[in-house]
Amino acid sequence: HVRYRMEASCLELALEGERLCKAGDCRAGVSFFEAAVQVGTEDLRTLSAIYSQLGNAYFYLHEYAKALEYHHHDLTLARTIGDLLGEAKASGNLGNTLKVLGNFEEAIVCCQRHLDISRELNDKVGEARALYNLGNVYHSKGKNVASAGTHDPGDLPDDVKNALQKAANYYEENLTIVTELGDRAAQGRAFGNLGNTHYLLGNFRSAVLAHEQRLLIAKEFGDRSAERRAYSNLGNAYIFLGEFETASEYYKRTLQLARQLKDRAVEAQACYSLGNTYTLLQDYEKAIDYHLKHLVIAQELNDKIGEGRACWSLGNAYTALGNHDQAIHFAERHLEISREVGDRSGELTARLNLSDLQMVLGLSYSTNNSMMSESHVVENSFNGTRPRAGRRHSMENMELMKLTPEKKSSRE
Amino acid sequence: SQPLSGHQAAELQSKVVPSKQILHSDNMEMEPETMETKSVTDYFNKLHMGSLVYSCTSKRKNK
Repeated sequence: HVRYRMEASCLELALEGERLCKAGDCRAGVSFFEAAVQVGTEDLRTLSAIYSQLGNAYFYLHEYAKALEYHHHDLTLARTIGDLLGEAKASGNLGNTLKVLGNFEEAIVCCQRHLDISRELNDKVGEARALYNLGNVYHSKGKNVASAGTHDPGDLPDDVKNALQKAANYYEENLTIVTELGDRAAQGRAFGNLGNTHYLLGNFRSAVLAHEQRLLIAKEFGDRSAERRAYSNLGNAYIFLGEFETASEYYKRTLQLARQLKDRAVEAQACYSLGNTYTLLQDYEKAIDYHLKHLVIAQELNDKIGEGRACWSLGNAYTALGNHDQAIHFAERHLEISREVGDRSGELTARLNLSDLQMVLGLSYSTNNSMMSESHVVENSFNGTRPRAGRRHSMENMELMKLTPEKKSSRE
Repeated sequence: SQPLSGHQAAELQSKVVPSKQILHSDNMEMEPETMETKSVTDYFNKLHMGSLVYSCTSKRKNK
């Protein structure tokens, strides 16, 4: 009788945990699952389900170390009781968690196990989900290596390209299956991530096609967050196709939806993207307008990095308009913030911007640092035609001009 | 230091373009992950559960 009571209470606690997680309250759900584990059960399948749900709850709460621990317990248990389907699921969840933690090689092993078992069990749904997870791991792996350097989309080392190409292949395989299954939601997810993978590979036309499909499915479901994501990704792709007008239209839709969804951080990002797009269109007044909107939200959200970027962008835009007083004001603010957040490269950029502006104004700007005198030397050797490599971030955009010859000619 | 010539000032202006790095590598919007789910009701032995539920409810009735 005591054992029965214990079993019942473990089960009841777990069922309450399930209910709470389904209702979206993972924090409370975790408490009930933890209590259920404390009470204990002799039914190992029940315990496995509790571990799995604890792992997922911690995953959604972004507590990945704990998620890893519980999915690992689940995997061990599933193997112990010879539950093959349970093992596949635990492997997939473990793989996703390892991916987020940046352990890509182990993540691949786990996701591959999920795939192998699903195929062995002839489980098409599981197979498709494992393929999507594998695509995500390779995408993250590629992006992670790429971000260690300073690469633009399409300009990548071989190992990055290989990882991204693998990701694209897995998404394509996933799409084949979920299309057969008629699973539109899964198609939407695969199109979105496939589009982003093409974007990183520099296949901007393919990226557009994939994101257009994603957009279509988002609208079918009335999923406004997904719709907003698609607009934003479409904007990014059109920038690199050199179609800045089209990009601005998509970013405007992103902004519209961000406001509807009352997501201030996303709204700030959309304003920032629009500011940059109008800079590319050389409409500096509009650029300033959007960068100021971005600045206001960054300050409101206490996002120092965003604020620094806004000041830097505003400094550049005011420089372009020849409004040097405002340019200096924002360049100084950029310098202050870069120091505050310990952004060394931002600090260097800000100093160079300031020294350039002082040159223009013929000021002898007094700062008590050795950087200034060094930058004077740089200035004097700067012949005004070939910028020094790594001189400043904005130089990278000289590369962008190669993509957009029509812009190049209009700049003369 | 010497002030820049008009040509150099124009050069300074023409260099003002936002960074591609900042512009477009860190705001790619990914789709959410999908996690595999298990439920205690999937795994719980229905017969066992039936007897449990019976024992629970009958106890409650006796109270």
